[in-house]
Amino acid sequence: MLRRSLLTAGALALALLASGLAQADPVQIRLWHMEQPPQRVARVQQLIDEFNKANPDIVVKQEPQNWGEVYAKAPAAIAAGNAPDILFAIPDFTTVIKGLGALESVKDFTDKLDKQHHFIPATLRPYAYDGGVWAVPLYNMAISMWYRKSVFAKAGLTPPQTWSDWKKDAETLTKAGLYGAGLPANKHLYTDQTVYAVLVNDDAAELFNDDGSLRFNNPKTVEAYSFYKDIYKFSAPDATNWTWGEAEACFDSGKCGTVLQFTVISTYNAQGGDPADLGVVAVPHADGLKDSNTISYSNAAMILAKDPAKRQAAEKFISFILEPANYGRFLNMEPGLFLPATEDGAKAESFWSDPLAVKYKAQIETMIANSQHGMLFGFTKDKVMSSIGAISAQNIIAETLQRIVAGGAAPADAVAAGQKEMEAAAK
Amino acid sequence: MVAPVILWLGATLVYPLVSSLALSVENVRIIGSAGRFVGLDNYLSILSASAFWLALARSVVWVVGNAVVQTVLAMAAALILEQTFPGVRVARTWIVVTWIVPTIVIVIVWRWLLSTSGGMINPLLIGLGVINEPVGFFSTATSAMTSLVLINSWRWFPFIAVMLLAGLQRIPADLYEAAAIDGASRFARFRRITLPLLEPALFVLTVIGTLLSFNVFDIVWLITGGGPADATTTLPILIYRTAFKGYRLSEAAAMSVVAMLLLMGLAMLAVRTLAPREEGG
Repeated sequence: MLRRSLLTAGALALALLASGLAQADPVQIRLWHMEQPPQRVARVQQLIDEFNKANPDIVVKQEPQNWGEVYAKAPAAIAAGNAPDILFAIPDFTTVIKGLGALESVKDFTDKLDKQHHFIPATLRPYAYDGGVWAVPLYNMAISMWYRKSVFAKAGLTPPQTWSDWKKDAETLTKAGLYGAGLPANKHLYTDQTVYAVLVNDDAAELFNDDGSLRFNNPKTVEAYSFYKDIYKFSAPDATNWTWGEAEACFDSGKCGTVLQFTVISTYNAQGGDPADLGVVAVPHADGLKDSNTISYSNAAMILAKDPAKRQAAEKFISFILEPANYGRFLNMEPGLFLPATEDGAKAESFWSDPLAVKYKAQIETMIANSQHGMLFGFTKDKVMSSIGAISAQNIIAETLQRIVAGGAAPADAVAAGQKEMEAAAK
Repeated sequence: MVAPVILWLGATLVYPLVSSLALSVENVRIIGSAGRFVGLDNYLSILSASAFWLALARSVVWVVGNAVVQTVLAMAAALILEQTFPGVRVARTWIVVTWIVPTIVIVIVWRWLLSTSGGMINPLLIGLGVINEPVGFFSTATSAMTSLVLINSWRWFPFIAVMLLAGLQRIPADLYEAAAIDGASRFARFRRITLPLLEPALFVLTVIGTLLSFNVFDIVWLITGGGPADATTTLPILIYRTAFKGYRLSEAAAMSVVAMLLLMGLAMLAVRTLAPREEGG
């Protein structure tokens, strides 16, 4: 009897130990993202906590990074065998990580998600090339033109649709004591974006020919840079040093008549701005064209995990984020900035119920509409040149503008020099 | 007792140095990726590129500009702080505040002070009649480099001032008294007593200051990123850009080896030519 009891107790102890071991060894997922502001980290943590609670066999941990360092840090972590399992990305960063052989296609996964949520094509396109899909789109950002309706009305202006309108409006607003066109000319990603937003509105979106050679140096590009130079005269004198923050501050302080920005909603609202007075339109296009385009950046998640269990857990977490009930809360980690990458996300109650989304619904709808016409340099074709990573990282598009507005070079010469720089970067 | 020091130096100095040398003779592009031996190709490539020499020239302008501005400001501050007046003890303590403040705070403060959208400097200069309309302090090559030198000097001159003050306080007061009795003017006393006796401190500060200034990266990168149109791209900025923006890690390593050799040469030259001579030896 005693022996039997001992055996039973032993078996029970072993079973408990085994289950304890199993419970003590959930799949660990390290998530690197670059959304460092505290409110974004807190929102991501809130979603992680919910996910971890609902999935006791998986533990997701976030490790926020910053964009300035991650280009060097992630390759080093991969080389050291210490890569995160999920790494947030923008398209050109994906080419860098893919170039290291660290990515496997997630096409099956994105196909499955597409059936459920329907990706907005412009968000998936920059990650789908070379026969695979290399990251899962999570949110979109698109540049629009922002203005104050009352300022335009007072000056007798209507929002510009063409470059001629834009120039006329900028001149009029400048005469009224404002910086008529708040445009940057820094050697910075922001300037890459605003210049490209002008290029795509003059049929100069393609940086590469089909054979992979560069076609940056062409008459349309020169024409677009010439226009930027003309309208830059109406920007602030310190715009050679602007990043997104300075442009937003110029608009918020009422000194800039218009700015090209992803959003100004959050700061405009914080300053007590009237939602009805905040105007947003598509970036104006060249006079010969019919419609406006813009630059759009979809941010995505790369899965770096190699272990099948970890990959499965990573996919489960990403699926959780894209569920409409959660997705809106994820996007609203920075209300009014991150746009949905999926069609059901664009309709999700969790997205539109945010107080800021309620207040600025009309503006956000316009931003989403603009984002549908988004393009990104180097990601406009089915084949992506890996050199776009180096071209983008060196801000050669912005540097070309600086040669014109700060260095005094003629647009044709600056564009020719820009092409040479791009060719050197592509080697 | 010496072993831990040697180990520490080995880990923090020799290993990175040897790694840089090894990296500079390979063709590694991205950190962590493999490369093959290419001999001196990277050195030939960078030494034949105008970008390297232009960056080096800007570094010289940067170092000389900082040395001049910082020394003048520091000397003036040290001479004032050596005097006795109410609050001098507080001033001697608080002068170092710019030196303690983190770089990022300094960058944010100055960017906004000099901004045309709400910054204080432009309205102040307009109010004083110095300028008619707001100017961009970082919008031209000359104004950007000048502004950066002034900001960096503003940050570091208190450190030099404190060092000079220590030197000033070691000068015996009776030398000044004797000179005054002999009818020497204030300027003559400064030139004949203060400057010669401060020479050792000035020498050390020149060498250390040059090395530190040459390697300044944070303020330049955070304020102008090397712009506009490369006007403030000094050698450290070019090295960083080449390594982490251009993905040419080995070329950047070659640049850093050349920069290190230049600085070592400069330091040795300074020791030989500027070091105060022992008298009566």
